[in-house]
Amino acid sequence: MPQTSHQARRRAWLRHSLGCWAALGFASQVKAQGMVSGKLLSLSQMLDPIVAGAKLVRADVHIETVILADNGLSVPFRVWVDSPMTAQNHVTHLWLLSQRNPVTVMAKAHLGPHSGRAELSTRLRLAGGQQLVALARLSSGEFRYELADLIVTEAGCVDSS
Amino acid sequence: MTQLDTQSTGLARRDFLKVSATTAAGLSLGFYWPNRGDAAETPKLNAWIEIQADETVIIRYARAEMGQGSRTSAPMLVADELEADWKKVRIEYATAHENLRTKRAYGDMAAVGSRTIRNSQEYLRKAGATAREMLIAAAANQWGVPVSECTAALGKVHHAASKRSLSYGKLAAAAAQLEAPKEVKLKDPKDWKIIGKPLPRVDIPDIVTGKIRYGIDAQVPGMMYAAVAACPVFNGKVKAMDASKVENRRGIVKVLNLGEFVAVVANNWWRAKEALREVAIDWETGDHGQLNSAAIMASFKAGMGQAELAVARDDGNTVQALASADKVLEAEYYTPYLAHATMEPMVCTAWLQGDKLDVWTSTQNPEGTLAVSAATAGVAQDKVTVHPMQLGGGLGRKSPQDFTRQGVMIAKAMAGTPVKMVWSREEDIQHDLYRPASLVRFKGGLDKDGKLNALHIRVSAPSILATLLRLPLPKGVDGQAVASFNDHPYDIPNSLVDYAQRNSNVPVGFWRTVGHSQNPFMRECFVDELALAAGKDPLAFRMAALGQKSPRDMAILQAVAKAADWGGPLPKGVFRGIAETEGYGSYTACVCEVSVSDKGEVKIHRVVIGIDPGHAVNPDNIDAQLQGSVVHGLSAIFWGEMTVKDGRIEQSNFHDYRLMRLNEMPVVKTVIAPTGGFWGGVGEPTQAPLAPALCNAIFAASGKRVRSLPLKNHGMSLKA
Repeated sequence: MPQTSHQARRRAWLRHSLGCWAALGFASQVKAQGMVSGKLLSLSQMLDPIVAGAKLVRADVHIETVILADNGLSVPFRVWVDSPMTAQNHVTHLWLLSQRNPVTVMAKAHLGPHSGRAELSTRLRLAGGQQLVALARLSSGEFRYELADLIVTEAGCVDSS
Repeated sequence: MTQLDTQSTGLARRDFLKVSATTAAGLSLGFYWPNRGDAAETPKLNAWIEIQADETVIIRYARAEMGQGSRTSAPMLVADELEADWKKVRIEYATAHENLRTKRAYGDMAAVGSRTIRNSQEYLRKAGATAREMLIAAAANQWGVPVSECTAALGKVHHAASKRSLSYGKLAAAAAQLEAPKEVKLKDPKDWKIIGKPLPRVDIPDIVTGKIRYGIDAQVPGMMYAAVAACPVFNGKVKAMDASKVENRRGIVKVLNLGEFVAVVANNWWRAKEALREVAIDWETGDHGQLNSAAIMASFKAGMGQAELAVARDDGNTVQALASADKVLEAEYYTPYLAHATMEPMVCTAWLQGDKLDVWTSTQNPEGTLAVSAATAGVAQDKVTVHPMQLGGGLGRKSPQDFTRQGVMIAKAMAGTPVKMVWSREEDIQHDLYRPASLVRFKGGLDKDGKLNALHIRVSAPSILATLLRLPLPKGVDGQAVASFNDHPYDIPNSLVDYAQRNSNVPVGFWRTVGHSQNPFMRECFVDELALAAGKDPLAFRMAALGQKSPRDMAILQAVAKAADWGGPLPKGVFRGIAETEGYGSYTACVCEVSVSDKGEVKIHRVVIGIDPGHAVNPDNIDAQLQGSVVHGLSAIFWGEMTVKDGRIEQSNFHDYRLMRLNEMPVVKTVIAPTGGFWGGVGEPTQAPLAPALCNAIFAASGKRVRSLPLKNHGMSLKA
């Protein structure tokens, strides 16, 4: 397993979430709030800041998660990358990216040959249904990725009119 | 730009963009096309419509039906565009597992937030219009005439020039083979034939003859029954359990300690329930057993003085405007926790057979039920079947899936045996997700002409979104806690709304109308106080305060006032009150006519209540919703209150959580005033204006200003 600290990331995520909401500069009147929040990003918007023009291929990355979640509180998510994880050929980083959350980069794991496997298992907090991206950087500098559609049901009489 | 490997990512990228666009627009479905191989047998024109050879038109309904009537109204949208003969329409439920299999062909299935019609109207109408165009094209092909010369009406396609007609039943198989048009033109509202007509709900005959199957009616061969007890102190757990007194009793199958609750499984429910009473359970309650209503109120009051508050609205400079106002009014309002108390308590029948799970439950969120069931049982989502059942009331309680989780936990412990879990009324009342209590302080400033110039509203209340769903709150504001305050329609130059989030161990959830169930009571009663202070008629004061920025609020207020003959003569001792509210995309108003005796008996002579939902799809059903809102609303207004002692809810059943009785029902006059051009909700906003209109009338009749509910706490009763 990669050497990561999910708890630390989760706390950071929460801090960033709140910070982002504040930074968005809401108008003086907070509109009625829907269950989902945030704008949907395009794939390019999600990947460009990280990939920065390097070669990107949709291959070798695998995602295991649910299709439906009754709410976005704690969604199980597992990702692994086909890689020998040798000194010459390994995954250096693994990102979990959200299309809709206040913070796009939900997690970034630093990996290396010492990790043994390029695999990450966690639970995600999601602000509504969206596509998730698992992005891996290889030691060659290339990137691999996979997408997952996830539906978060809106289970409440929220007035988002 | 990132250089994408086109060979491996091109298609995915296009798919991604398509999904992104549809999700952003709130339409996550496309049309699912079933296997055409069976088209000759049961022609399906799209996921929603199937037409049989005997002319029966099957229209699928994807949401739950709990008495709100949208199992009739939503198919009306499809049928109108389809040009179907409503008499030949049969409505069938779509299922959550089919939705999963078809990548959500039926879209969102949750019946919540008064959004069934307003959120699905576009794709439902398009489904009908698409099928209509395919049927017309099939007929034109058969006749060898241009499509433009053909028309559809009442389940037939006509070619006027040759005076030929073909029924949908005869055309469906051929139509199902055609490609669906990519774009369809929806009808102009003036051409609607079914939408806007008052049609009886399709489920009424089955309800009155007892044929309807509610979730509690689920029957599976070999089924056992479970009664459950969770810790009476919220979030407590089972420390120890001794079931030796009942384990060998006749009919008792198993007593389960499931950590969060205890379940007795028996061969009938009464045996399970009675045995449960004799199971000795030692609960681990932690510190929560000390909580009581006084402590919660103290917390709310502390919120009023909190240094840092979340700001929900800040127009102008309210503090300064209040300081320079000619007259300042200040008042504090309070509303209590409420239980949903649906007629059918929480129920879940589940049957785990190997890796396959079947669930029968009354759920407002079938997809959520599927997700929770799979996760709880540890089976794949595509191995779960959620059987659609009618709900014996929902009121928002049956959208969260805590009860489904319990039912499936029991089924997992009893693997191979179907088990029906039914909550007792006591369990239901004492383990609800309650409508949050709320304390609100108002300060209003009038200028020398009696015009409302400044309004400061401070809310101290729990947050549903932060505690139940743990959603991030924009600027720390729970939009439901401040609903109808942060978006009030009054044209006031200085408005400040701030919020102190005050959560307790009492779990809160979505109770019908949510924030609009209580905040309009407070707002509209305080507006009445301001009108009185300004020496103005309550209607005239509101109209002036609304200004021209809120024409729809003004229109519904005027329509209801006119229907109630506001300002006209009344019998001696009878007085009126008025209120205007908005929410869930609709506009509502109410006038109550009451008399109040010296003993505090409130006689409601008439309720005039109205709504502008934009388009009124089924006026008969809207009429029922308006009347139902009065029943549900009056129960809460007169008696509804959950109190907390020793960490638990004190009320337990209808003897101490009263509902209104048949003979207490007042005369209700409904006003349906659709102005068109938008689609608003109905089930929830209709309840919002009742409480303030009633309490304003009580003030007019008695001089007693009610600033907290329920009325029983003010020595008032409802006179039949």
